[in-house]
Formats: sequence, C-alpha cells, structure tokens
Amino acid sequence: MQKKKSSRTVYAVALVLFLAGFGTLLMAGLKQNSIYFLNVSEALAMPAENIQQIRLFGTVAEEGLVYDPQHMGVQFLLEDSDDASQRIAVQYRGVVPDLFQPGAEVILEGGYLVQDGVFNAKTLMTKCPSKYEAENRSG
Amino acid sequence: MHIIPYFSLLAALILSLLAAAACLHQAWEGRSRWLPWVENAQIVVCTLVTISSFFLLWAFYVKDFSLLYVSRYSDLTLPLFYRLTAFWAGQAGSMLFWAWLVVVCGTIFLFTKRYHLLGAQSRVFFWIFFLGVQSFFMYLLTGHQNPFLEISPAPLDGQGLNPLLQHPGMIIHPPTLFIGYAGFTIPACLALACWITGEKHSWIEIAHNWTLTAWIFLAAGIIIGGWWAYLELGWGGYWAWDPVENASLIPWLSSTAFLHTAIVGQGRKALGKTNVLLMVLTLVLCFMATYLVRSGVIDSLHAFGDGGVGNPLMFFMMFIMVVTALVLFFGPSRDDRPLSGLGSRQGLLVITAWIFLTLGLVVLMGTFWPVISKLWTESPLGLDAGFYNRVTLPLFVVVGALLVICPWIQWRGGVRFGKGLAVLAGIWLALGVVLWINGIRMPLAVVGASAGLAMVASLVLLFILDPSLRRRRTAWGAHGVHLGIALMFLGVAISGPYKVEVDAVLAPGESMVIQDFTVTYLEMETWSTPAMTVYAARLEIARDGQVIGELAPQRRVYRTWDRPHTKVDTRFSLGVELYATLLGFTQEDIISLRMSTQPLVNWIWIGCIIICVVGFFAVRTLKGRARDVDTEPDPATS
Repeated sequence: MQKKKSSRTVYAVALVLFLAGFGTLLMAGLKQNSIYFLNVSEALAMPAENIQQIRLFGTVAEEGLVYDPQHMGVQFLLEDSDDASQRIAVQYRGVVPDLFQPGAEVILEGGYLVQDGVFNAKTLMTKCPSKYEAENRSG
Repeated sequence: MHIIPYFSLLAALILSLLAAAACLHQAWEGRSRWLPWVENAQIVVCTLVTISSFFLLWAFYVKDFSLLYVSRYSDLTLPLFYRLTAFWAGQAGSMLFWAWLVVVCGTIFLFTKRYHLLGAQSRVFFWIFFLGVQSFFMYLLTGHQNPFLEISPAPLDGQGLNPLLQHPGMIIHPPTLFIGYAGFTIPACLALACWITGEKHSWIEIAHNWTLTAWIFLAAGIIIGGWWAYLELGWGGYWAWDPVENASLIPWLSSTAFLHTAIVGQGRKALGKTNVLLMVLTLVLCFMATYLVRSGVIDSLHAFGDGGVGNPLMFFMMFIMVVTALVLFFGPSRDDRPLSGLGSRQGLLVITAWIFLTLGLVVLMGTFWPVISKLWTESPLGLDAGFYNRVTLPLFVVVGALLVICPWIQWRGGVRFGKGLAVLAGIWLALGVVLWINGIRMPLAVVGASAGLAMVASLVLLFILDPSLRRRRTAWGAHGVHLGIALMFLGVAISGPYKVEVDAVLAPGESMVIQDFTVTYLEMETWSTPAMTVYAARLEIARDGQVIGELAPQRRVYRTWDRPHTKVDTRFSLGVELYATLLGFTQEDIISLRMSTQPLVNWIWIGCIIICVVGFFAVRTLKGRARDVDTEPDPATS
C-alpha cells in the first residue's frame, strides 16, 4: 500500500512538471504565432493599421493581373469569394505557384502597406491540390 | 452500364444493414446461430463493392467520359497508368476506394485463424460494429458521394488530371493512407466487441497484425506525401503544417500512443479502458482527417461550409464516440492491475504514450484553432507553422531522448547492462560535441540529431550485448522501426534549420554560388510531346572547381492546363542534396532560378523505407505467440 502511494506521488509530481513546461510553451505559441484569418470583406471592414500580419483568403480577379517576370512576382486584385464587389489590391514578390490564375482561390500572408492601401503579401499559396477539385478552366 | 455499379452499392448497403440488424437481434437474445448467415452476407457485400470498383476502373480504362467522374479527372492524352490511378484522384472515387478496402479487410479477417479464436458472442458484437461502419460508407457512396453520376451528352474529351497529381508520389500516397485508415477499422471494432463480452483472448493480440500493418501504411502514406511535396511543389520543403498534412498525422500520433500502451496492456490486465479508447479514437481520427480535408471547415473559414460530406461524417464521428463512451463507462467493468513505477520500462512506455497523445492534441487544436477561436473573436484566429514548431519539436526531442534510454531499463525498474548504458551516454555526449564543432548549434537541432545518432548506437550496442534479442524476429521488427525513426530524427533535425536558399537571375553562361557549389547556366532546351511542351534549363554544377554533374529543372506547359508547371531537379546525395527550381524565363532565355541545399534530407526517406520494410518483421504468428506468452513481453521499446 505504502509503495503504491509513493509511486502515485512521483507520477503526480512528474505530471505537474510536464504540464507546467508544456503549458508555458503552448501559451507562448498561442500568443506569438496566432494571426487573423480573414476573407476580403472582413479585412476591408477592419481598420487598416490593425492589419500588419494576417492570413487573407480570396479569389484572384479576372482583370488587373500583372506579372513581373524580371523580379518574379505578380500584382492582382483579390476579390471576396462570396461577394465579388469587395476587392483588395495585392502585390507579391516571390515565386508564383503553378496553380495561380484568375479564378483561383488563394491564401496570402502579409499586411497593408500603410501609405497606399495595397496589401503586401509575403507568401502566396494556392489551395492544396489534395482538395482534388478540378480547376474551373475557361475554354 | 452505370446502373449496375450503383445498384451493387445500394444492394451492399441494404445487405450490410440487414446483417447488422440480425447481429443486434442475436446479441439481444444472447445467441449466435445466425453467424454463418452474417459471414456469408459479408462475402456477398465484398463481391458487390468489388464489382462497382471494377466498373469505375474499367470506365477509366476505356475512357468512358459519359461518367462525370471519369471526365473530370482524365483526358484522351493521359497515360494509362495515371488513367487507372485517377480512380482516387477525386473525392467520390477515394471514398469508394476506402470503402472497398474496409469491406475487403472485414472479409479477409473472416478467414483468419484469429477470427476463429474469438468466442461466438464476441464475433456477434464485432459484426454489429463493423457492419455499422460499413453501412455508413455505403450510405455515403449511394447518396452524397456517388461516383457513378452520368453526363449527357458525353463530352468528347475529359478535363484532364491536374499535373501536380501526375507524379508517382501522389499515386502511392492516397492508397497507402487509405489502407492505413481502413486497417484500423478491424482493431477498433474488436476492441469494443471484446470489452463488452469480456473475451478471454486479448483483443490486442488478435488485432496486433492489423494494427501494425495499418500503422506502417499510415506512416508510409504521410511520409510519401512529404516526399511528393518536396519533389513536386518546388518550395524546397516537405512539411508545412498545412491542415491537410496535419489531418493524417493526428491519427498516426494516436495510433503510435496506442502501440505503446498496448505493450503494457497485453497479457497483463492493465490499461484496459485506455487501450480500447485509444484504438477507437484512432479510427475516429481517421474520419476526422477526411472531414478536415473534405468539408472545407478550416480553409473556407465558414464552419460546416458546404455540407457535402462534412455533416454526415461529423455525425458519424459523434455517434461512434457516444457508443464508445456508453460501452466503456456504463458497460461491464473489468479489473485493472496497477502499473509499476515511473522508473520502470512500463512507466516509460506510459509516459511515451502520453507525450504522443499530447502531440496529437496540440496538432488537432492548432488545426482547429480558427474554428475554436470563433468562440471569443469576431474574426477567426489561426496559427502559423511557427506555432507547431515551437510547441511540438521540444516534445519530439523528449521522445527521442526516451528512445535512447528506454531499451536499457528493465520491465519492472532498474537498469540492464549498466556498463553499456554508461558507454552509450558517453557516445551521446561525444556526438553532441562533434555536431557542435561542425556548426550545428541550435539547441533543438543538436539534441535531436545527436539523439537520432545515439539511438542507432543504442540499438547496435543492445544487439551486441543481448544475444536473445538477435534470435527473436519480432525484436528485429520493433527495434528496426526505431532505427528508421532514428534516421528520420537525424534528417529532420538537420535539414530543417540548416537549409540554405539562393535566388538568382541568370543569362546563358552566367554563374551563381551557393555554399561551396558553383552553378553555371549553360542553355535553354525545348521539346514537345502530345501532352505538353517542356522548357528545361541546363545547369552545370561544380564543386571546388571540379565539375560534378548537371541539373535540368523544367517548366512544363500542359495541353489541358493554362499555367506552366514546375518540375524541380535534385542532385541526390546522402550528405548535402542540391535542389533546383526554375521559377521562370524570358524570351531571351534569361532564367530566374532558385537553388537550395538540403543537408541530410534523404535520411528521412531512408528511415521511412526501413520502417516500412522492417516493421513487418514484428508481425506475429499464432505459433510464435504461444512461445512468447510466458516470457517477458516484446521489448518494443520507445
């Protein structure tokens, strides 16, 4: 009986220590690595200075698409996937993924350039192909 | 033509439901007279679903574009191999494939010796649960996810398969995952059935080979997915903590936890409820994975977005959990023996399992954070990859350290081969120092990589010191899996933090330098096939002035796809692998190129191959089991 009790105490102490260390990690992670997930209309409704680091979801508009072959990048208009009248101008420098095209659903990370209201995307992701959805190709 | 496969599925649904009802009736009466009838029904269902699956495969083979599914995922120019494997390129097809695997698993299990070890009542209960799961699949396939919808008039050509999916990795990845998912159905149903009936044979033992096989396939599927991302997506990594990746990792973590508690639970009546719960949880998490990937709950930002397959899956998962809770907490009670202390191997196994469960919980929570945070914020908050790295990597490193030490701890506490362990500690420390001298200075990377190498040393030492291990095939299996894990540790710990990336814009004849490699751009080559036009940049690689080879990253323009598609090229190396991506090129053949070095990345894939091959050595035979039962349990250490 005595032995059982002592081993239980050891378990409890170990668990408390583990939880304390792990809890600290988790809290720090939740605090520092969380970013807003917004669609275009939600982002437009937010004050621009709040948007320094967000993940933005939307659809690439048909017009206003300019590729920049010299510097590897693209400028385009991102429209809300449900309401095409809501738009944000986006500039992105970096590798343009293969599935990027007008009508593609994309996920951007970045923030507003405060002076001119253009969204500066640090990363540009197209929806993962494991969605297995065939592209809506015109023609 | 399309009536037959659809009605086969419908008949399979009705038959599964009837057989399940028959089992319920028998269980209620406490009889088992109808068992032969139920078993035959299962064989008929298997035949029916096989017929349907074969029809779909045949439709792809003969390019029957009147089937909506066939026209969406193939076209006239698609090679035969990709045409057949387009079977699981879409949602309905992959559901059918998964369902077919579940049905086949159940039918195979019928004919195994272990099935006949079970008491009649346990079999009746097993079929209640199993046929329930099977019926759910048939219900999906005949309703939400019907792969046999027709288009009229039939198009002359299909829409083609996304070029990203035209890669061997993407062909093997879904089926391996699905074999894993399907394989867990048997142990989960067995766990519930045997808990209810108080079966005298250990269900863990009866399901052991199923659990092991499913676990190996799931692990392989996840890693092949990573390998595919590395070679096909061109961003120079293999794991991004994307919801889609996390989805399949979560059941793997819970099943890994189960594998370790199972060792404790086997034969000794300990952790009974825990084991049942973990096994059922693993099955539920497989459905959860599909739910995450398919329902759009995460990336559409609107919970329960498109209905589709999401809601039925959600209800089904809840239903399984409610049933399990009822069975475990209101069902019969079984007595459990207390565990030995923390310092014993038993204790360490339990700790390991807890860490894996914690990891699973973190990944699950992180993935669902946009949904969870909706409770208190207007706009959902998500977590980036940094969160997962920060929280999970330290835990993985703890697992690594446990894996070095654990094999040296006795089952009931105390150390085996004290001298060996002392030598090992020295080796581990020395490895850390060597890494430090070689510029590996990040704490997690040093500990992780040295733990990986120390595991290898640990296993080798153990096999030298303990001849009895060398004689047991299952020990080779268990330790072999850990050897694979050790190599993966090494690969992940070094390749992640020490990757170097350089972008450059080059005209023909110009060079760039990355670490000690010089890359010279020779020329642009172009050729065409019926399906695509290929643009390849020829690069000459030199190291210290010596030419060591060529790379030719490509951009491909497919006939059925608007945007060009990147084909990366790599220079295979067990040390530092070179990785080239052609980002773009101009009319004047000026290319924008991204070169990166990937140190030790290939050890991840090598580790995976070892896990998959050697893992099967841990498969048990009934004969071998009878001999092992009285001795110490398999030291499937971790």
